[in-house]
Amino acid sequence: MRAALLVAGREYAENAKTRGFWIGLFLFPIIIFLSIQVPILLEQKATPVRYFVLVDQSGSLAPTVEAALEQSYQRQMVAGLKEYARKNLAAPAVVAALDEVKEGDAQSLEAFVARGGKEFFLAQLRPRLRPGAPAFQAPRRLFQQVKLPPGINAEGDLASIAEELKPYLRQDKSVAANGSPVALAAAILIARDFENQIVRPQSQSPATNHQFQYWSANASDPRLREEVERAVNTEIRRREYLARGLDAAVIGQIEHTYLACTSLNPKKEKGREAIGTADVIRQWAPSGFVYLLWVAIFSVMQMLLNNTIEEKSNRIIEVLLSSVTPGELMMGKLMGIAAIGLTMVGAWMAALFGILGWKSGGASELAGQVFVVLRTSNLVPLFGIYFLLGYLMYAAFILSLGSVCNTLKEAQSYMAVMTLLLMVPLLTMAFIPKDPNGLLARVLSWVPLYTPFVMMNRATADPPLIDLAGTLVLLLATTLAALYMAGRIFRIGVLRTGQPPKIVEMLKWALRR
Amino acid sequence: MVQLRNVTKLFGNFKAVDEVSFSLAPGCICGFLGPNGAGKTTTIRMMLDILKPSSGAITVLGRSSALAVRQRLGYLPEEKGLYKKMKAWAIIAYFARLKGMTRRGAKGRALELLERYGLKDFAEQPTDALSKGMSQKVQMLAAIAHDPELVILDEPFAGLDPVNQQVMEGLIRDLARRNRTVLFSTHVMEQAERLCERILLIARGRLIFDGSMAEAKRTVPRRVRLETEDGIGPLRDLAEVSAVRPVAPADGPAPAPGEGCTHWELELREDADPQVVLQTCFGRRIRLKSFNQSEPSLHEVFLRLVGPEAKEVRCR
Repeated sequence: MRAALLVAGREYAENAKTRGFWIGLFLFPIIIFLSIQVPILLEQKATPVRYFVLVDQSGSLAPTVEAALEQSYQRQMVAGLKEYARKNLAAPAVVAALDEVKEGDAQSLEAFVARGGKEFFLAQLRPRLRPGAPAFQAPRRLFQQVKLPPGINAEGDLASIAEELKPYLRQDKSVAANGSPVALAAAILIARDFENQIVRPQSQSPATNHQFQYWSANASDPRLREEVERAVNTEIRRREYLARGLDAAVIGQIEHTYLACTSLNPKKEKGREAIGTADVIRQWAPSGFVYLLWVAIFSVMQMLLNNTIEEKSNRIIEVLLSSVTPGELMMGKLMGIAAIGLTMVGAWMAALFGILGWKSGGASELAGQVFVVLRTSNLVPLFGIYFLLGYLMYAAFILSLGSVCNTLKEAQSYMAVMTLLLMVPLLTMAFIPKDPNGLLARVLSWVPLYTPFVMMNRATADPPLIDLAGTLVLLLATTLAALYMAGRIFRIGVLRTGQPPKIVEMLKWALRR
Repeated sequence: MVQLRNVTKLFGNFKAVDEVSFSLAPGCICGFLGPNGAGKTTTIRMMLDILKPSSGAITVLGRSSALAVRQRLGYLPEEKGLYKKMKAWAIIAYFARLKGMTRRGAKGRALELLERYGLKDFAEQPTDALSKGMSQKVQMLAAIAHDPELVILDEPFAGLDPVNQQVMEGLIRDLARRNRTVLFSTHVMEQAERLCERILLIARGRLIFDGSMAEAKRTVPRRVRLETEDGIGPLRDLAEVSAVRPVAPADGPAPAPGEGCTHWELELREDADPQVVLQTCFGRRIRLKSFNQSEPSLHEVFLRLVGPEAKEVRCR
């Protein structure tokens, strides 16, 4: 055992010195950090303000559009205030007045403004803030209206206005906003006689639909267009109700009348059956772990293959075998590389928990929910078990392969087959959470090569006990058998030179009494 | 120390080692000679329990498996290699630790050996930065760092320049001086002749000679070389002479048949006294320009014992 531990120690130390190990170690935490931080940064800083001009020749829709954009800004304000409260309140106290404001509800937002808006609610929050809390930073207005550039006649026909605005929209010229030149992102043009072009059911379609135009060189950000289009059409419908003698207020109330549908899960504790964001995360989080498992197993397998082939091609193997038994050598290599893999996944888990814990403190609500799901589910322990068993099973194949190949090139053809086999769990990764106890999931769970990945993917779906225990026992038995056979192949293979044997011949070595 | 009894190794139908038996006494330097493919490496691998014999028995340091006494064994394989990224001292210390030394003891010993054999300045270098000769020395030091009682070296001189060959010779002599047993295989007969007290010669898997260097040389008839312009008819009739053949002079080609020959080699019968040849020359007025009586070299012993199989070796 001492010799095996020494081999393991060397394997660990030498692999821990490689660039690949450190890249693997840090890449995942960096990805996790960036995937949380980048959206926050984009939201806070990187999303540029969209400057736009609004030409409403009818004179009747501009106030509607402006009010809708103001309401959109107040929605941002409420979300910002709630986020600020979540981060900076001394205790997780709920500020009832703020909690009552529903960002998605127009009337609620109007009430928010009517009560005094930001200033009123900040006054409510101030006594409850933790010491040293920063001042509230009001969100930027993402959409800001600017005046039509000088020289363009707002009363001219839309085609001319559009033509004159094109250099500004193409960023060849800039417009002025608060005294500074800025890029014009969009132009909204509404014709004087737009009412003639309104599309109504059971009437002829208008000859042209160019009476309401949205010009922008940036087609990838539709938010302004959506806000404006929604506001204009809501107003048009309101006028239509009036024109037809219907009470718009009543219609408005009716439009806000609905029956809420609650998603419930019968497997949840009584009284808490409602499905929330955490449940959705719980459903999809295993897929993330499957991917991690795949990357971890694949990375350490590559290390194991490289090391084994290095020892063989350098002929160090012979000196080693005069010092340790093939069994000790194999066990040492397995342990050393397992330790490297565990260090890697351990660091990933620590980074995952660390970053989620840090960010769930305020910056990201989603991070907080993922953190709670990870702490309260069996995902992490199962990940550990499936990593170890999966690693040992695949390592048995890799050691057999590495022992009979003299160069990495020779090993490539075998590795291609193994990579193809390993693609199956990746390809099915997205389907299994949708039907975690369905036929595909259950059948694949019982294929030992895929058990670690598929059962990991089903981890939070309460699979039947027979699946959970049965597949684990089968995986364990397969792993032990694979290791036993690998030991026999390894012993013969490591001293063999020349062409690698055929798989049938290797099987004969493994099974020969 | 080491005993092999009727050891045979089959690879499929091919008999790589055939009924080989020998034993090694403590403290000797023994050369294990034979042409390529003769079965030397296979025999060594069986001695080290890397390969299992198909039949026969092997005892190393009193145990049936060398792995049981691996801490008392040192081994340098024929094909040499090191972990490329490990430092020179670390690789010596690693193998010393595998052979039972403590971490501190192994490091101290590695640094001491590197200093003693002129590699102190390269101790911290990764082995892929070392020259071939240096790498081979590092590997040799790794094989002996734990001060083994029995050292088995498979082709220790292969690929070394003359200076490093001398260093390697010195290293082997050092081991013998400290009463360690050394078995080494080689194709370089001069080195074997200089170092070995005992010779094991193997060909086609069979041990064809096992004895001391003197005994090995006795397997080749003693020879006398002489130069004369007179006829050597009287020498042909001597009972002590078994064969007479013309040879080329040191500075010229061999004479064509029918031309007058001046250089001769006389092969003597076993236990014949070369003085008889000299006395006959004086008595029969054969005027000698030179008379040279020399021992056969190990190279000649090898050629004689191995025969046609040695051609490949001679070309090296």
